[in-house]
Amino acid sequence: MATDSSHSPELTPERSSNPAETAGIDASLRTPLVALIGSALVWLLVASVLGLVSAWKLHTPAFLDACEYVTFGRLQPAQTNAFIYGWGFNAAFAVSLWLMARLSRAALPGCGVLLVGTLFWNLGVTVGIGGIILGFSTSIEWLEMPGFASPLLLVAYALIASWSLVVFRAGRSGQIFASQWYLIAALFWFPWIYSVAQVLLVFAPVRGTVQSVVHAWFSSNLLLLWFGSIGLAAIYYFLPKLLLKPVANYYLASLAFWWLVIFGSWAGISTLIGGPIPAWVQTAGAAASFMLVVPLVIIGMNHFGTLAGRWSALKDNITLRFVAFGAAAFSLVLLAWVLTSIHGIAAVTQFTFVTSAQAQLGLYGFFTMVVFGSLYYIVPRVLNTAWASAPLAGVHFAASALGVILLVGSLAVAGITQGRLLADASVPFAAVTKATESCLFAGTVALLILAIGQLAFALNFFWTLARASACCVKSAKGLLSAHSEAAR
Amino acid sequence: MNRAPIIFLGVFFALAFSFVGLVLTNQITYGAFTTHVDEEEGKAFPLPAPGLAAQGKLVYQDLGCVSCHTQQVRRAGFGADTGEHSRGWGERQSVARDYLREERVLLGSVRIGPDLRNLAARKNAEGADFTADWLYRYLLDPKLVVADSDMPRYAFLFKTRQIVGEPSPKALKLPAASAPAAGYEIVPTARGEALVAYLLSLKDTYAYPETKNVYTPPAPKKAGEKKEGHE
Repeated sequence: MATDSSHSPELTPERSSNPAETAGIDASLRTPLVALIGSALVWLLVASVLGLVSAWKLHTPAFLDACEYVTFGRLQPAQTNAFIYGWGFNAAFAVSLWLMARLSRAALPGCGVLLVGTLFWNLGVTVGIGGIILGFSTSIEWLEMPGFASPLLLVAYALIASWSLVVFRAGRSGQIFASQWYLIAALFWFPWIYSVAQVLLVFAPVRGTVQSVVHAWFSSNLLLLWFGSIGLAAIYYFLPKLLLKPVANYYLASLAFWWLVIFGSWAGISTLIGGPIPAWVQTAGAAASFMLVVPLVIIGMNHFGTLAGRWSALKDNITLRFVAFGAAAFSLVLLAWVLTSIHGIAAVTQFTFVTSAQAQLGLYGFFTMVVFGSLYYIVPRVLNTAWASAPLAGVHFAASALGVILLVGSLAVAGITQGRLLADASVPFAAVTKATESCLFAGTVALLILAIGQLAFALNFFWTLARASACCVKSAKGLLSAHSEAAR
Repeated sequence: MNRAPIIFLGVFFALAFSFVGLVLTNQITYGAFTTHVDEEEGKAFPLPAPGLAAQGKLVYQDLGCVSCHTQQVRRAGFGADTGEHSRGWGERQSVARDYLREERVLLGSVRIGPDLRNLAARKNAEGADFTADWLYRYLLDPKLVVADSDMPRYAFLFKTRQIVGEPSPKALKLPAASAPAAGYEIVPTARGEALVAYLLSLKDTYAYPETKNVYTPPAPKKAGEKKEGHE
């Protein structure tokens, strides 16, 4: 890699902006970001509680089984939806808005509509999750929220996401960095896949198993092209910025981007291998999944090539640690995707906990970890104050990393055990369930560890927020008294 | 890549490509699939579900049964769903036509419990056909009928009430240990009845043209092994 990179596009993207300008951008984002991050954290904790109860039920079925509102079939979708739409989307909005503003070098022109959108979004998620618990679930995985909540979400999405594009259009940056490609793609895709899925599955259902195709298309795109894009945007931004070096092999990044968006949007169908859908669809899905090898290699080269030789930097930078963990997890997500679309492997892993392990690896190991890392960088700049507690941040990282590894590992082992035993018809079904119990218990412990990390983070965030607002009040008072003194 | 319009257009066409290729093409081709009219029987298969079963499906949906149960029998040789030395979850693999009349297709994604697609045509743990009474007892407390079952109880689908006059014909016949107090009986609620009617309607036994002459690879297991079934 050339050492003289002061003019190359792959170095820290907004290098030509001055500190006063970035401070102005950060200040303009303060209110909406506090609202988004605050609500994201509340949902994260709600999802954790729901997740712990439903995980406990997996190995202790008699736990809380007298009341229909807390059956596994309702709590588990409630947990997933709280995590995806409550935590995931609020956090993704916050990170994408901040990244877009910084990269485009534009301050937010106003935040009223954005706040209304945030309010509506959270209202929609609350109504939706309440609906699931009360028995209005659609029973469509990742779309369980009833039809009376989803239009609200779409409207709120439009109110929030359009601001990222407004900021992009108003920007003064001459170039478009890799992070921005991913952000533009993600912001544009979600309303499309979500509205198509809502119409074709909930409001005017298509016939028969075309529904399954639409559903697989939606859920894989949500994971890979929405959460994937937002996470990748953050990784592409923070690695060069914090390591003060250009992205390695940046010239390949655009190839990976186009490859991922073209084949990634077809890859989800591989979950339907062996299903009651046309054979060509299954084959196309498997082939597209296999094509993910290319972005896997290129994105790996971009990320780990940038990190190479600078591993010591991980020690003293919490953002970098989280982001590097997320980058590694993303490689594993793609690798697992490729592997489980191979026929012989799918025969074992299909319909087992391996699918949950994959979802957790993508949603927690990759997306959530990258978002945590980003927030460690964003929050102090937006609030204009340092994090309240460094030890809490350390606890957060340790608990998150350990929890993710234990959770994904235990679910994967449980799933492979389950898949192998299910394929052997001489093993009674109950014995299959028994064989996975210890792994599922380990999964519950992992969720508990993750929850400790989340609590540490939430505590740290609200503490920092309280300090920042106390600081604001103090300086305002100081200003007032200085003013009155001057008047005197 | 520094031109915003190119990125926007590219992003649009990439998703349009998969939308047209996967969603639209499938909807246009096999989304127009029709029922199979059997001239001999004078019926169009798959048969429509009876009204109570259709209500039961809503109960199945609202309780989130799909979180643990799939409804899809994979072909012989892919897993152990059907065919020789299999769990006997179906007489044949599920095909697209089986789901034609379903307003919501619930294939499911994880088998924490057994597949239910062909439940009503299978044998229960005792080797007999599934009956409403068996399913009622199973839902009330799974351990009553299958000692090592790991399914939670769905006791809220039942109510205990005082016997007034004649005992109800729907009252559950329970062993003494779990029977209600004298003068009381346990009967399914309307939702419980609907759910069981739905479960008993899950039966894919009709052989469509596309389910015949399907290649089934020889089972890898040795002959003479115990054939394990159901539950």
